[in-house]
This record gives sequence, structure tokens and C-alpha cells, in this order.
Amino acid sequence: MTPLTPNRLGPVTITLPAEPTLSRIVRLAASGMASMAQFSVDEIEDIRIAVSEVLIALIEHGESGDVELRLSVDNGKFRIDGSTAVSELNLDHPDLALCRTVLDGVGATHGIELSPEGRASIWAMVSSSTTGE
Amino acid sequence: MDPHDNNAFSVEVNSDGILVVHGDIDMAGGPVLEASILEREASCPIVIDLADVSFIDSSGLRSLLGASRRAESRDAVVTLRRVGPEVMRLLEITGTTDLFAIDAR
Repeated sequence: MTPLTPNRLGPVTITLPAEPTLSRIVRLAASGMASMAQFSVDEIEDIRIAVSEVLIALIEHGESGDVELRLSVDNGKFRIDGSTAVSELNLDHPDLALCRTVLDGVGATHGIELSPEGRASIWAMVSSSTTGE
Repeated sequence: MDPHDNNAFSVEVNSDGILVVHGDIDMAGGPVLEASILEREASCPIVIDLADVSFIDSSGLRSLLGASRRAESRDAVVTLRRVGPEVMRLLEITGTTDLFAIDAR
């Protein structure tokens, strides 16, 4: 078993229904992990926002099926990977553009792709200013 | 619902007609706030007290931006009172600060 250290946590995998009220639970889990990994208060706030933006994109643009999220910390980088089934995904949708603007604003690198199997995958990563790049 | 319960989101109208928001303005809270705004905006200027809001994301922001757009069409403006640093930061990140009359904390 790989030991978990403050600099390496997870992955924690969460599967949740596409229910907006559950986003608070994911933010809570993410902020708990970030705190354990010794991210600063401001960085934890950035991570909470990044998790929320990933969830917004998946829940609002998905087919209302389950959303899968994977949270992990590695060497000062907090990474959020999410996916859900979609029938189509308009990458130029203004709501997605706003999500991207917010992710950029909190300093999160991010990406979004649509698989041939009809799954949207979105990731975001927030780096610690003290231990990451 | 206890407006001071951290697990709850609520909007109340105080005696001055100000919409007082408690909780996170996110995917769940945003639509509740929007419904409260829509209920009042035709007859009253919209003033929103955000002192008890410490989290907002883009979905929550959209409810405020929608109110701002509709207010502009009435030659009015939405006022945000007691805006905390978290909300102010999102407004700044998205370049939407100028769309509101803002009274920071």
C-alpha cells in the first residue's frame, strides 16, 4: 500500500447523482483534503471554487446521470477529474465560457474533452504556491 | 429553515425591502435567489445583502448577472450590500464588478 502523506493524498473517488444540492458535499471533501495537504486558506478557497466549476459544467451539461469525480493531491498539486455522460457538448456555450473564466481566475489549469463514447471529461488543477510549480 | 444554519440556503426580505441572503450561492442556491429577485424586481429596486455569503461560483453569479441585465433594461441597477471578499473576488475575476452598485463590507 502506498503511504499517504500530506504531499500525496487520494485519489478519493466520488460518484454522485446530478443533484445541485450535493455540490456542497464535494466542496467539503475537497477542502478537507486540501487542508490535510497543507494548502493555504486562499488556495483552499480556490480549490473549492474549482471543484464547484467542474461540477457545474458536468451537471448542467450532462444527461442527468451520475457524475464521477476523482480528487487527488500529488506534490503540491490538487487535481479534480470529473466525467459524466452527455448527448452533446457545446464547448462554446456561454455558461461553460464563464466556468473557464472562473477557473482561469483562480489560477487553475483545466481541460475539457468529449470522448467518442459520449462522455464529457473535465479536469482542473490548483497548484500550491509553496510546494507545487 | 434556520437562516444561520451553515447547511441551509435562504433569502429573506427585511423590513427595508432588502433581500438578505444566507448561505452559498451555488447551483442549488442560485435558482432560489433568482426566484426571490424575480418576485420583487418588477415593483422594487433590487438591493441584495451578501454579508452572510462566503461562497459563490459561476452558477450563483449567473443569478446576479441576470438580475443586473433585467435591471439595466429598466434603467435601474442592482445594489449589492456588504459584499465579502469571496464574492468580490469572483466579480473581479469575471470582470462584472461594474455591472452592480457595490457597497463592500
